[in-house]
Amino acid sequence: MPPAAPIAPLLGPALGLSAVLFTLGVAGVLLRRNAIVLFMCIELMLNAVNLAFIALAQLQGVGGQIMVFFVMTVAAAEAAVGLAIILAIFRHNQSVDLQNVNLLHG
Amino acid sequence: MNALDTTTPIGATLALLPELLLTGWSLVVLLVVAWRHEGERDSRFAGWLSFAGILLSLAAVLGMWHGDWHSEGIAHMVALDSFRYASATLILLLAGASTLLSLRYLGRQRLLAPEYYPLILFATIGMLVMAAATDLILIFLGLEVMSVAVYVLSGFDRYRRSSAEAALKYFLIGAFASSFLLYGIALIWGATGQTNLSLIAAQLAGGAPTMASLGLGLLLIGFGFKVSAVPFHMWAPDVYDGAPTPVTGFMATGVKAAAFVALVRVLDQGFIAQAHQWQPVIGVLAVATILVGNITALAQESLKRMLAYSSVAHAGYLLVAAWPGTAFGSGAVLFYLAAYCVTTLASFGILAAIEHVGSRTVLIDDLEGLFSKRPWGATSLAVCLLSLLGFPGTFGFVGKWYIISSVLREGSWILPVAVAVGSLISIGYYLPVITAMTFKPERTIDAHRQVAFSRAGKAIVAMAVLLILLFGVWPTALLNSAVRSARTLAPQAVVTEVP
Repeated sequence: MPPAAPIAPLLGPALGLSAVLFTLGVAGVLLRRNAIVLFMCIELMLNAVNLAFIALAQLQGVGGQIMVFFVMTVAAAEAAVGLAIILAIFRHNQSVDLQNVNLLHG
Repeated sequence: MNALDTTTPIGATLALLPELLLTGWSLVVLLVVAWRHEGERDSRFAGWLSFAGILLSLAAVLGMWHGDWHSEGIAHMVALDSFRYASATLILLLAGASTLLSLRYLGRQRLLAPEYYPLILFATIGMLVMAAATDLILIFLGLEVMSVAVYVLSGFDRYRRSSAEAALKYFLIGAFASSFLLYGIALIWGATGQTNLSLIAAQLAGGAPTMASLGLGLLLIGFGFKVSAVPFHMWAPDVYDGAPTPVTGFMATGVKAAAFVALVRVLDQGFIAQAHQWQPVIGVLAVATILVGNITALAQESLKRMLAYSSVAHAGYLLVAAWPGTAFGSGAVLFYLAAYCVTTLASFGILAAIEHVGSRTVLIDDLEGLFSKRPWGATSLAVCLLSLLGFPGTFGFVGKWYIISSVLREGSWILPVAVAVGSLISIGYYLPVITAMTFKPERTIDAHRQVAFSRAGKAIVAMAVLLILLFGVWPTALLNSAVRSARTLAPQAVVTEVP
């Protein structure tokens, strides 16, 4: 009798990859100083979560895949607003470097 | 009719009645604004129209509360309990008051894009959803609907550099925090297979696997950013300082209220069996927030930044109230939220009237002699500050006393001491404002000539001051109502087998 196929192949590696991507995103947000790069890192974090949802959907059902659609919609809305805000900053500073964002400091 | 089956379309629609009414209304306002966006008159018209929508939604909430609508079986997606109705009432009152406080301010500061008001409505819808959600997905969606609208609002004065910078900071940190929250949701869902809080509680009753605990930790980080708890608070003073003042008031009260009621619901309804895991975290966050918020506020010279740090400190007091996880603790959260929100919104309303056209900061020294020129305004600000301080006979004092007693009941003494120490420190920055207003002479003859309250602003501030004094001496009815509402938060018994 052949051994039963695993219920969720690649679950471990996929979750591991998602954790690595998420950590990369966090590190990027904390270390980089360019608003666009920061925004890309945040998108990376969101997509790492999407990967985790998809991977876990093998165990827990389609709920995770549906959740991914919500996350993508939200990320699109955030991108629209976020890029507009970055544009507004660019009009003031002629740069999107956070080093020049220094009017307010706590 | 009072028991709704939220699995049917009609039941779900009725359960979401206040949110749906407000959504429809805000779209109408957006349409009206597309035709009428010329001058100050159109902007005020949009403001009053939005106010009417908020009143309509408030009527729906009060009707549901009065009719005691509740769900059959467990609540799918949205809760139908007094805790939701109480927090929705608070949020809608805050939104209405913010709208009225903005009317004059936008005209004075030449911020005449009437899209401001639909954005306030959109943010309010997100807050209502957060207050109602019993499902982690819906909490996330509500949070995002609220946050995206507030990102725009904080940068509404985009020709001023400080406002644009505030929006950028708020957006980057807000989106960063949402990803943590979302990762937490993913892990909790992966561990339990559920996103409904009651079903999660049923799954985790016998103990949580590591994955679920990790998810809860990430969820707490996300909420920590949103309620501006130390060490996740560094954005708050900058953003509160840079945003237009009525927006700051709305952010410091509405956003915080929505985040706190959602946090309390998640902890008390979904993870009450894990209380031994999250209580130490909440306790440490609370003590750090109270100390750092109060001590940094001492060093501020600008009134707006001082109020911003004071709002960080108050997040600490609210975390103390969230610590016990009992009906008394959650009742204290509701009660203190009401006290804090009424007081803070009125303070920012007064600040908006004092602010000079085009200038960003009101220094505490600028208030010297305000009492002799504007006795009512100065007295109202003094009452608000005394309430924030927790002076006996005010709303804030009763709230703090109630937080301390609800925590003492659970046998902790460190947290009450932290609340008391924090209040003592806060004397050091609230009192100088009051002495500057009353005892010092004004610097120049026309120092306070520009102070301008609108009629609606006057009414809002006067009502807030009356409430502060009224509930300061006669809090019993509100206290009982808060505890009764919080009782409905206990995890609902899951009778049917978990699907």
